[in-house]
This record gives sequence, C-alpha cells and structure tokens, in this order.
Amino acid sequence: MAMGQGAAPASAGARKDGSAEEIARQVWQSRWLYVFLLPTVILYSAYTIWPIVASIRYSLLDWNGFDSDGVFIGLANYSELASDPQFWNAFGNTLMFLVLAVPLRVGLALVLAVALNDPRLPFVRVMRTALFLPVVTTGAIVGVVMRFVLDPTGGPINVALLDSGLLERPVNFLGQASLALYSAVAIWVWKWLGVTLIYWLAALQTIPKDLYEAASIDGAGHVEQFRYVTVPLLVPFLIIITLLTAVEATNVFDLLLTLTGGGPFYATEVIDIFVYRQAFAANIPRLGYASAAALFFGACIVLLAALQMAVRWQLRRRAGEAR
Amino acid sequence: MTEDLKPVSPAALGPDLTRRAFLYGTVAAGAVGAAGGPAFAQAAKTIEWWDQFAPLVPLHQKIWEEFSAKNPGVKIAYTQMNPADMMQALQLAFRSKRAPDIHSILTSDLSVTNQLSKAGWFSPLDASFNADTPFLKEALLEGMTVFNGKAYSFPIFSFRQHETSLWWTKPFMEQAGIDPAAGPKTWDEMRKAAQAMTKGRTYGLILPLQFTNRMANHVLDLAQVAGAPGRFDWRTGAYPFGSEPFVQAVEFLLSFQRDGSLHPASSSLDARQGRARWAAGEAGMFFDGPWNSGVVKGSFAQVLDTLGAASIPLPSSGQPAFTYHTPPSGEFWISSQCEDPAIATKILQLFTTDAYYVGLAERMDQPPLDLSAVDRANVHPTYKTVVEGFKKVVRLAPEPLIKNPNVAQVYAEMKPVTPGVGEIVQGAMGGAVSNVKATLQQYADKLTAERDRAIKVVKDKGVQVSLDDWVFPNWKQGEDYTASHYKT
Repeated sequence: MAMGQGAAPASAGARKDGSAEEIARQVWQSRWLYVFLLPTVILYSAYTIWPIVASIRYSLLDWNGFDSDGVFIGLANYSELASDPQFWNAFGNTLMFLVLAVPLRVGLALVLAVALNDPRLPFVRVMRTALFLPVVTTGAIVGVVMRFVLDPTGGPINVALLDSGLLERPVNFLGQASLALYSAVAIWVWKWLGVTLIYWLAALQTIPKDLYEAASIDGAGHVEQFRYVTVPLLVPFLIIITLLTAVEATNVFDLLLTLTGGGPFYATEVIDIFVYRQAFAANIPRLGYASAAALFFGACIVLLAALQMAVRWQLRRRAGEAR
Repeated sequence: MTEDLKPVSPAALGPDLTRRAFLYGTVAAGAVGAAGGPAFAQAAKTIEWWDQFAPLVPLHQKIWEEFSAKNPGVKIAYTQMNPADMMQALQLAFRSKRAPDIHSILTSDLSVTNQLSKAGWFSPLDASFNADTPFLKEALLEGMTVFNGKAYSFPIFSFRQHETSLWWTKPFMEQAGIDPAAGPKTWDEMRKAAQAMTKGRTYGLILPLQFTNRMANHVLDLAQVAGAPGRFDWRTGAYPFGSEPFVQAVEFLLSFQRDGSLHPASSSLDARQGRARWAAGEAGMFFDGPWNSGVVKGSFAQVLDTLGAASIPLPSSGQPAFTYHTPPSGEFWISSQCEDPAIATKILQLFTTDAYYVGLAERMDQPPLDLSAVDRANVHPTYKTVVEGFKKVVRLAPEPLIKNPNVAQVYAEMKPVTPGVGEIVQGAMGGAVSNVKATLQQYADKLTAERDRAIKVVKDKGVQVSLDDWVFPNWKQGEDYTASHYKT
C-alpha cells in the first residue's frame, strides 16, 4: 500500500517532467517564432494593454495630475459622470456624429464606387486618386486648413457665396452652434470618403460579371441590376464597412480639436475632446474623471460592436435557414 | 565635442562601405556619444526657462547673457510658450520629469497656485534672495508667493492693470468720425463707432471668443465698471455673476453681433489670432491688455504709428468707475525638478532691480511692480495712456487668503466649475445660450455649491476656515483695500 502510494506520485512526476521537457523542446524548436512575436507582444502590452489597465486604476482616483498620485474614491467618478450634463452632451454629440457621418460616408462612397467601377467612364483613375487624396493628409492639418476655407470673411466658400449674390451675409459654418457639428461631419466625410470608396470598389469587383450579363439578357436595366444583383451581394460587405466606419467615426479628436476645439459652447464637443478637456485643457486637470469618461465610452463602443456582431450572426442564421 | 558626432549619410562615406559596416559604425558612434554625454553635461549648467512673455524676450535675453558672462558655464535655454497651451505643456513636462528649471504658470487663479504648491511643483527661493524694496516686501504674501513661511516667487508686475483697454487703428476711428487720439469713452459711443467702421469685409470689433479665459476677464472688467464688485461681492461673500452688471456686460458684447459690427470669425479666434487680424486691418477695435503696444511693436510694426488706445469704455460718462484686482501672485517659479535652485534664485534676483523695472516698462508688457518706472521709461504714448488709465480705474481688491491663510486649502480643494463666464459668452454669441442671465446665475450657484463643499471638506479636517473669510464689511467702492484694512 505504502509502495503503491509512493509509486503513483513518482509516475505522475515522471510524466510531468516529460511534459515540461516536451514543451521546452517545442519552444526551443520554435524559438524564432517567439523572438519575432516578442516586439509585437511588448509594444501591444505597453501601448494598448497597459494604458487600459492604468486607465481603469486612474478612473477610481481623484487626481489633478499635479500630485504624484491621486486619492482612491471608488466609483465616485462614474456616479458623477452619470449626472454631468456636459458628459451627456459630449456623448450625444458623438452619437449624432455617428448617426450622421457613417450613413453619409458609406452611402456616398457606394454611389461613387458604382459610378467609378464602370471602365467606360473617362478619367476614372484620376477621379479615384482625387477622391483618395484627402485620406493621406493629416486630420489636424485638415482642421486648420478648413478653418480658413470656411472663414466667414476671407474663406473661399463664403467669398464665392457672397460674390455670386446667393447670400447677403456670410455663413459662420464653425462659429454658429446650430451649424458647427454639421460642418464638421461634412469635412470628416470628405476627408475619409476615399477609404470607403476603396472598400466598395474591392467589394464590387468580387461580383461576377456573368450575373450582370444574365440579368441584362433577362431585361434588367441599370437600376434593376443594381437593386437585384449588386445590393444583395454587397450586404455582407456593408456590415463590415459600416462597422469599420463607425469605429473610425469615434476617433475624430485631431480634426475637431483643430477645427472647432469642441466649440462653440460645446456644440462639437465629442467624447474625445471632453476627455482631453478634463485631463489637459482645464486649469485644474481631473485625470481620474477623464479616465472614467473614456472607459465608459469605450465600454459603450464594445457594446455597439457586440450588437453589430449579434445582428450579423442573426442574419447569417436566417440565411442558412432559408437555404 | 558633440558636433563631431553628427550623423553621416551612407552615400557620403564612399563606395567601399557596406550597409552592415555603416550600421555598426552608427551604433558605435551612438555608444561613444552616450558615454561622453554626462561628461559634457557637467561642463556647462543649463537653466531651462519657459514662459509666455513674448515682448519681454529681448530684455530677459540681455539679463541672461550678462549673468552667463559673470557666471561662466551657466546658460539659460529659453522656450516661448503659447498661453493657450502653456499649462498643458507644463503638466506633461512635470509628469515626464522634464520640467523646466524656471517657469511661469500663466494663470493668476490662486486655487491653481495653491494646488501646484501642494503638489510639490515649486522649490522655494534660496536664502540668498533679498526683498529690499517696500513694494516687493508687501508683495510677499502667504498663500500667494509664500508657502509655509518660505518665499517661492515674487511679482514683477503691478496689480494696477486690466485686460480690457480699448485699442484701435486711427484710420478706422477717423472713418467713424471720432477723435482718433481720444477714442470712444462710453459703451454707446463704442457701439456707434463700430457700426460706422463696418463696411464690406471690415468690421468694427474683433473678439477672441475661443480664448474663454480672456473673454471671462473682459466681462469681469466691463461688469465692474458697470457696478459689480468683482469675482465675488466682498460685502457679502456671494458670487455676483447673475447680477445686473454682469448681464449688462455680456449684453454689451452681444450688441456688436446684433449690429453686424462684430468680426464674424471672432468665434474661432484666440487672442493672438484676433490681434493679428485686427492689425491686418480686418477690424477697427480690439480689447487687450497693456502688452498690446509691445506686441504690436514687435510683430506688427507697420501699424504702430496708427495705434490708438484708451482705458476701458464705461457704460455712461460722468460716473466714477473702477475695476478691482487682487494683490499680484508670482510670475516665475523655480521648479521642484530644478537641480540648482541657488543659481535659479541668483538669476531671479536680477528681476527685482530698478533697471529691470524701467526695462520692463520699455518692453511695454504688463506694467512693472514699481509703476513709477513707466514715467522714467521710453515707451510708446499708447502704453503711457493705458497705464495712466489704470491709475485712475484699478483699485486693490480684498483677498480672503490674506485674511486667513487657511483659505489656501479651500482653493486647493475647489474643482473647476463649467461652463464659466467665457464659455457663456461664446455660447451666447454662437446661439447656444438664449437666456444669459439664467445661465450666469447657474454658474454663480454652482460656484457657491463648490465653495461650500470645499469649505466643508477642509473644516472636517479640523482647519479653521469659514464663509466669513470671504466677507469684508469695511470694503468701500473706489478705495484700495490695503494691509491696514485687514487689521480693522
């Protein structure tokens, strides 16, 4: 009995040793794989994982950033957020930006992609390049330049409108609270349209030409071909393009900070700028509060993505059942 | 020595050098440079200096050069900051342990000064610092420039100043039919002048609406000449932002927009951009502090000869009007990350001499702590005009911190309240605020609640402080509230 009891662990230990050796051998065999993975793991941990973990900790502190560390206050920052009208204003502006900008960018890019997908159209390459050009410019620079372009006195748009007699007084595109967000949406859509256009062009080129030929033989015109061939085959792409565009539409900090600074009177203050204002731009910064706002909004975006994935999964399931 | 280690392009090294040899060489050169760095650094002491006083740079540069000549091995490296970005840059610098040795802190908000002091941002002045003039001794006040009995900084500017002098260019004023040497005296005159100046794409007035702190100060100054006491009512301790003078001040600014005489781009301009467009002839008038003549001389010399200025316009002529400003805080602070506060103090001591005050006046920035230096200085007539205006209009305000140094802890506890006066003006101009009075009253109520909360927190720690510290029953309109007033 005693021997048996002693033998069993010895046997398990031998198996364990063997397993550890085996793992070590496999790791050594694949060592270059791990070596090449290491920079990514280090950088991802340092610049993605660590900031998230640090933000979670900061969000539980009352910290002005002047002191070396803050005071632990539990969930007080989150409860203050819930009753802060300026946070909800920024939240609403961000959602409004999403609701306006995403369909506009996705829809406009689709229309342009369908037009530019026709090889018979002259100067197709020139037009594609022209539409893509704003994408490679820096968002902050676009913001600064657009302030001059939309300037109520010397800006070319107002000058053109005034000189042509269409307006008697200049339009303050960025200084009027009721117009500023719409102006920002239009600039953002113009700047990033080229990316969505490329997505759609790639998607359109996956549709076999013979489907159009068959539809044409059946008497379908351009509109019918678009409705009954193009649109159904683009639906899977639509979902992923919409998701990508929605995520991009929540990262408009550089453009809006240089374009309007979140003003006038918080009319274009999206969450990014709210967080920036709390953390850096205030006379007395509130790093804990800013972290709480950023995390709360991040959680909302994750929820949005999960919702989108659930809808996608549901659609696929229905399609499977239909087949 | 370090100049010898400049990077060289591979092409310049000739055809025999391989890419790998070049990389090895570069790494080796880097290693040599890194090893040699500290030895070189020990040979020279560099004092990093950040501030936003653009017009003072030549004056300070001269002082620094003279100091370096007398103290070989000490160099001052200066970085000029944009006021709008300054505090953010300092926060990032402090957190990354790269703070300058000497810096300004831009704001005169005592809650910020006290929070920074509490957070350990500052080093005290070295014991060698000598405050040998009466006006300098009076300016060293606990909670403002002195913390726990130690002097940390000192003012270089007089409290007798405001940011709302009216500046114009003479051709515009002639066009409005007003004596270009005198300018408009009242709000009505200014409004009519602005309307007369507005033609085509030129406007009567330009405001830096995006610089909300500056706008708040403009409103405060205008409200005070309309009868408001100050940031709070010294007789009762209440915040007066919802009172009639504040509403009148905001409505006065809004009237230019209603008249169509406000430059439409004002909503997206800060003070520097606004000044540049005013100097470029896009608008006739601009509110600014006394430093405007210095900035114009340095950056827009072409309009210096056409420059006109007056003290703050009044709601109506014939009635005495005053603005009240608290004793000045320190301008330059030695950072706690400064390795040699003694050297920093020696440099700062040079900013307390009569020659410096005269030089300061001649740079035409804020008026010097010794206001009489302006009379001895060679300055533009507009600078003299606005400083003379300050003597008539600006009075010394009471400061709760001087009454009870424990108030510093309340200031340090108070969190920022938004939207403030500057944002409210911006919102009213942009159509987002329809009821100015109600929004200003909301701001006053929120400030009151925040101050009450901060007082309670500090009192709960056993510190003697109360709302009475904000009440000064012996304050009288039009009088300086001097040290003797605190004793009675």
